[in-house]
Amino acid sequence: MEKNPYLPYAAHIEEAWIENDARDIKSFRVVFDDSADAGAFSHVPGQFAELSLPGMGEAPFGIASAPTETDHLLFSVKRAGLFTTELHSLDPGSPIGVRGPMGRPFPWDRMAGKDLVIIGGGFAFTTLRAAIVEILDPANRGDFGSLLVVYGARTPGELLYRPELAEWQERDDIDLHLTVDQADEGWTQNVGVVTSLLESLKPASQNAISIVCGPPIMIKFTIVSLLNLGFDEEDIILSLEMRMKCGIGMCGRCNIGSKYVCKDGPVFSRGELRALPVEY
Amino acid sequence: MTASQEIETRLRETAEQLLRDKKVDVFLGYEKASLPFRTTPLFVTSPEQVDRLAWNPFCTINLAVYLPRLFADSRRGGGRAEPPPPPTVGIVLKGCDLRAATVLIQEHQVPREKLVIVGVACPGMVDRRKAELALGEHDALGAGEDGEGNVHAVIEDGVEVKLSREDVVAEACLQCRTPTPSMHDVLLGSPVEATDGDGDAGRKQTADFEAKAPAVRWAQLREALADCIRCSACRQACPMCYCTECVMDQTRPRWLGAGTDGSDVMIYHLTRAFHLAGRCTECGACARACPMGIDTRLLVRKMNQEVEDLYGYRPGDATDTTSPLSDFSMDDPQDFLTEP
Amino acid sequence: MTEKTIAHTDLDRFLDCLKEAGTVYVPAKDEAGEVRLAEASNVESVALAYRNFRMSPKAFFLPQNQTLLRFNEGRVEEPAPPDQGTSFLFGVRPCDARALLALDEVFLSGDDEDPYYKRLRENTVVIALACERPVASCFCTSVGGGPGDGAGSDVLAVALEADLLLKAQTPRGEQLLSSVEDLLADAAPEAIQQAEELIRSAEDQISPVRVDNSAELLREQYDSPIWEEAGLTCLGCGTCSYLCPTCHCFDITDEMRGKTGRRVRTWDCCAYPLFTLHASGHNPRPSAKERWRQRIMHKFRYAVENFERLFCVGCGRCIRNCPVNMDLRRVLKRVGV
Repeated sequence: MEKNPYLPYAAHIEEAWIENDARDIKSFRVVFDDSADAGAFSHVPGQFAELSLPGMGEAPFGIASAPTETDHLLFSVKRAGLFTTELHSLDPGSPIGVRGPMGRPFPWDRMAGKDLVIIGGGFAFTTLRAAIVEILDPANRGDFGSLLVVYGARTPGELLYRPELAEWQERDDIDLHLTVDQADEGWTQNVGVVTSLLESLKPASQNAISIVCGPPIMIKFTIVSLLNLGFDEEDIILSLEMRMKCGIGMCGRCNIGSKYVCKDGPVFSRGELRALPVEY
Repeated sequence: MTASQEIETRLRETAEQLLRDKKVDVFLGYEKASLPFRTTPLFVTSPEQVDRLAWNPFCTINLAVYLPRLFADSRRGGGRAEPPPPPTVGIVLKGCDLRAATVLIQEHQVPREKLVIVGVACPGMVDRRKAELALGEHDALGAGEDGEGNVHAVIEDGVEVKLSREDVVAEACLQCRTPTPSMHDVLLGSPVEATDGDGDAGRKQTADFEAKAPAVRWAQLREALADCIRCSACRQACPMCYCTECVMDQTRPRWLGAGTDGSDVMIYHLTRAFHLAGRCTECGACARACPMGIDTRLLVRKMNQEVEDLYGYRPGDATDTTSPLSDFSMDDPQDFLTEP
Repeated sequence: MTEKTIAHTDLDRFLDCLKEAGTVYVPAKDEAGEVRLAEASNVESVALAYRNFRMSPKAFFLPQNQTLLRFNEGRVEEPAPPDQGTSFLFGVRPCDARALLALDEVFLSGDDEDPYYKRLRENTVVIALACERPVASCFCTSVGGGPGDGAGSDVLAVALEADLLLKAQTPRGEQLLSSVEDLLADAAPEAIQQAEELIRSAEDQISPVRVDNSAELLREQYDSPIWEEAGLTCLGCGTCSYLCPTCHCFDITDEMRGKTGRRVRTWDCCAYPLFTLHASGHNPRPSAKERWRQRIMHKFRYAVENFERLFCVGCGRCIRNCPVNMDLRRVLKRVGV
């Protein structure tokens, strides 16, 4: 019998930790109760899942872990409303439901053999982490060209995954540049917006694909920078957010034009977006 | 020319003058609808459009419902940009509609000085459902009014059917206590005598209901609301329901479910009745909007009667009073307090 | 599939046969004199002279509220499937039957199938009744349907003077008619002709609305100032969506009592201000203008782009019941369709 797409997999929170100084972003390491479900779940970076808590409802979150991290799923969640407040209050061991994976992932078939430019802002770095971990895996690294990552936040304390970022900066198969709007004591890296840093790095657009995730205003200006650098609009990949409920293209809520962000997205190329109404 | 046609002519003249003299930015009135027994709201912004304005027995809509949104932007505080200045709005208001606008002014949702009120003394409006039911199996293709205020509907093959006004006038209008707007900048139409000036008909309905045993009342209430599909049309059509976050939509905490469970339906309607106590002007917009034809006025009317009895207050009487439920004075009746 | 006839006098027996196979719903007058679909066992007499029901029969396939999951002391389970057997809906108008094809696209045609809709759809037999007398708000013929259209139904019935003409539209409909073949006769050519004339006469009564190239024209007119003006009067009351036979948008919420409860889906409406509100406070459709545009776009452009099907069957309920007479025919005309 077909699986009921509204029935979540049973899982539990194995570990939870605060990610940022403002203490409103928490990461959750989620493990399926039944390991067979983990196999069935198998997501592709760029996809999201709906986390479910009985009595609180559900909300969609980008999957921050790569499929190569086989034993768990990682989500980083900002506390904003009813569901996320409850989620933040849960102790390790608490049960949680996971529905998914959902959505169209990053275009991995097109990314193969290309140089990759990944640009993230704020706490929208979740699915980008999944993509980076996937690319860096020894089994996959050879499939891609150079990997340039530009990641910015308002302050150093708002960057996600800081221990990992530090590790990545030690590696030579990834070129990671961080920037903040406002430095603190001890910050020795770039200060300024993501686009300035990007423009100073001048990544080649030839045979390259760029993935951008961040707040709407950052995306807007980053697209301009990338186009100026010569990127084709089909090679600028974005991930959008919308209020969602069913996550499977039936409840009618998350559409932009004729496309449902949950089903036809959340990943869209800039070219695809330009063909859609500006209603997001 | 019928009385309505006279009013219509004067209405157009008034609107044209106001727009030409730039005394208003927009004029809110009624326009002929695409189906009989109805009108549609019209936002007129230039003098050339005034010929679209209509006045007839089908001008049922309470246009005051649009006022909060017209002034919402200018009221917005905070943020970086300066809020835009409030528009000046000309608006056609019948007796009950004007009372609703008065409450909005009282509650600081709408500034009086930015309204140009064209009041119309209202003889009672036609309930389109009553008219459609009166035609039975026939479908109206057109409708108009004769010199005596009766409705003439045109059905198949051009046949005309006369519907006498009293048979098709709205329930709310049968209990109208103030047909003539007391506050206005312009008044159109000859004064109309209220069908129920003292509110006796309304009180009788409430008294008849209250005379029944509690179990019977509960059963009848449940039955009256049995068709409720939780669309919230009653709320959306009500000028008094302007909260940007309605208690029914709150998630923290979530007060009620969104389905048709009897308990949820009751909470919705009872809560709304309480929130409207001393605020509802009984215009009937809620009953008209309800797709299921539920008359939602029963509960609120009772609340209003209690407020009137306890505090001598009727919503929409004057702008310089305050609703007793948002005010306190030392000599308020308090016989509901008991000894400890 | 050959046409059959059944005498009006045998209709009760026909319905009795159906009652043995499941629950039967027939048109009947309620206390207020209005005709609606009611359970046949509670009905004295079947009403055949009506225009259309106030509510569309959509609730039989997508109820106003529907339990998706049950929560019980930490367990999350699918609800037990309803023990409903088969439902027979007799007297559904062709527009409402056709609307089911639109709902099928939404709930059954994608990568995921909605098991709740599917179960109801598979267990509900639709016997449509052709229209003789459309009303002023009908425009089914302009959106691909018609008063004698059988699409979406299992059997199409046409009420003639002495008989009902019955024509199976699906294998299930064929099966149904075979099961009562003792009550049926092969339709005489006169009956078939009578039916055709009746339907043609009904078609003639409908004023056409132009919707050709709606998708293309709406794409061009997305930024037209018409939307601002057209949307100004919308109250966001939800009447149109709730009565519409093709509107399917829903909300999902959890209802708990202590440690037990349910996840329920309920009807929702794109005209509601909160429909697309993000937790951050951002709303991509902040005013009635965007929301009214979305409604028209969804039905006359996006559905065409996704499914090559209009999500409007011309039943006219939205136009008849809108408290402020929003009329999508008027808007389509203004936009230039």
